[in-house]
Amino acid sequence: MLFRLMDIRVITYESTSAAGINVSELRRAIDTRQSGLRRNDLPGSSIDTWIGKVPGLEEIELGHWQSRNNALADLAYRQGELEATVEALKTQVGSHRVGVVMGSSTSSIDRTEQAYTELDDGSLAEKYRQAQVHNPDGPALFVAERAGITGPAVTINTACSSSAKAFATAARWLTTGIVDVVLAGGVDTLCLSVLHGFHSLQLVSSNPCKPLDRNRDGINLGEAAGYALLIDADSNPELADQFRNVSPGASVSLRGYGESSDAHHMSHPHPEGAGARSAMLGALATAKLDPGEIGYVNLHGTSSRANDLIEGKQVADLFPSARASSTKAWMGHTLGAAGITEAIICIDALHRDLAPGTLNLDELDDGLELNTSPENTEIPLKYALTNSFGFGGNNCSLLFEKHLR
Amino acid sequence: MRSSPGDSGAPRILLSGNIMEKTDIPPLLIVGCGTWSPWFENWDAFVAKVSGGELEEHGLKAPAASVIPGTERRRAPLPVKLAIEASTQACAAASMDPAQLPSVFVSGLGDTQLTDYMCRTLASENKALSPTRFHNSVHNAAAGYWTISVGCMRSSNSLAGYGVSMPMALLEAAVQANSEQSPMLITFYDAPVAPVLQPLLHNRHAFALALVVTPTSALDAAEDSKALGTLRLSSGAGTSSWPKLGLPAPLKECYETNPAARSLLLAELLIHKNKDNPVTVPLSNGTHMALEIS
Repeated sequence: MLFRLMDIRVITYESTSAAGINVSELRRAIDTRQSGLRRNDLPGSSIDTWIGKVPGLEEIELGHWQSRNNALADLAYRQGELEATVEALKTQVGSHRVGVVMGSSTSSIDRTEQAYTELDDGSLAEKYRQAQVHNPDGPALFVAERAGITGPAVTINTACSSSAKAFATAARWLTTGIVDVVLAGGVDTLCLSVLHGFHSLQLVSSNPCKPLDRNRDGINLGEAAGYALLIDADSNPELADQFRNVSPGASVSLRGYGESSDAHHMSHPHPEGAGARSAMLGALATAKLDPGEIGYVNLHGTSSRANDLIEGKQVADLFPSARASSTKAWMGHTLGAAGITEAIICIDALHRDLAPGTLNLDELDDGLELNTSPENTEIPLKYALTNSFGFGGNNCSLLFEKHLR
Repeated sequence: MRSSPGDSGAPRILLSGNIMEKTDIPPLLIVGCGTWSPWFENWDAFVAKVSGGELEEHGLKAPAASVIPGTERRRAPLPVKLAIEASTQACAAASMDPAQLPSVFVSGLGDTQLTDYMCRTLASENKALSPTRFHNSVHNAAAGYWTISVGCMRSSNSLAGYGVSMPMALLEAAVQANSEQSPMLITFYDAPVAPVLQPLLHNRHAFALALVVTPTSALDAAEDSKALGTLRLSSGAGTSSWPKLGLPAPLKECYETNPAARSLLLAELLIHKNKDNPVTVPLSNGTHMALEIS
């Protein structure tokens, strides 16, 4: 429990997924209710499913940093005002006063998979001898190098809660004064490990996913990268104001986070959603807010039978008046990048006063009395909450606030 | 670039940047410690061996990790057992209920044996993966098995920091302990690297060390006096090399190639203390961490 309220300003943010190469395209996909999912055509995989694939990653050349994961991290970093803003902040505070916190589930295992298909007499071929790629910290190592950031850099690997937890870690670094700015984000790419792994657990749907629907039959995997550039507006108010938000009329801050463990099972959620509930209550407690003040909740909502029912019941119970939705049918479940992707959807929902609907929802699960619909809703929003839950029973909820200027 | 796990240590304390610019983290008490390696099975054995005992292998391939329930224990891979053994010892030494402790787990290299299994399978004709081995392959498997085994519903983190995994996890836990005013479990663990990846990620040794730390203000004076030491950390501008430690040969190699075994520095400072004489370690390309245990 934090003792003072936090005001972690989101300076700018970008997201790349099958729903759009950047936030502008993501907005367009949401507004036109256009899903980025397509039939699985990942080379080497014959699994009958749908995937959220980002086009063009194969063409990105990164030399000794080469991997699909790094290509996606690079593509997202080039979007919008992000790179220019990082450069300006580095000049202002020094590159060592900027930190990197990345979340990822698979890091660059896509590259390791590829290396194993070309083993030379049992050894890695020359072009795959990339120590900084074939390790779980690959995402933060690459992003720090790519962005020229020399402050502390770390990768959080807590499966599908990874890049939500990146915000919690970033907030603690900023309020403690370890750095003045954090580039927080996440990246995870499609690869055979996750397609065949989730298939082995019988969690993959052969149809476009239908989160929260009574007829949902599993998840679709996707890939995404995203970043949020964060400054503590309490300890660095001038810096936060100088680097104004992307939206001229308002700014959005991280106001709370909740982290918890299920203590139940490696790959099944707690049957009563105890860990999920504890994470949501934790976010409310750090923000000192009542559940009734939350206007929009973005669910983890993977479209698995178990998660959506268990999580949906807890959200309905805690936030009966909030608009709720799962946005997974736009880009699939992007695993370690789901936290940043959906944090950005919440931040953008606050800026636009627009709560996205649950795309692909036809009939709500009989067990749920959730305030959701397939349609987007224009509604004044001040607070939004997003959930991310991962294997190992690792949960994180984030709470964002919009301040009008 | 950040120093790699294979870099050998240059002379200690070389600061290239402005050492005046630093951030102090409020002190923490170290109230419990646990460890496991091929040469010692617990903290007392470690202290005995580094104080002049013979450094011979005890011959066990893996720690007991008996806190994991039977069925799950058979499925648990070596890195998970390493982490859980050290964590259990540290909580017992601290007389703290593990269910009440938020945790930070860190492994610099991950479970390369499982990576090897998955990549071999996926490169073959039959790509069917074992569901258990798949869920065990997540980097937070140790944190997951731990929280499940001890019934802990508190926050649990799982980090990767390559060659600077030790100071990154220490920073993370210290910052969290102070900002949330809570005791924390910190567990460093890395297992031998699979042969295909070993030319890149050189580690050949199993090693784990766990600490329970607590903000000084969270304990009363009586509890304070039982602490093993007080840890003072700061981060600052300018990078650093790793200090050399006077360790016997196999342990020295472990310290220099196993990212988790960089915590042997903490173990040495816990035994010998370095009040008012901080040592510095690399934290990133442009920062270092200064460490003092009194």
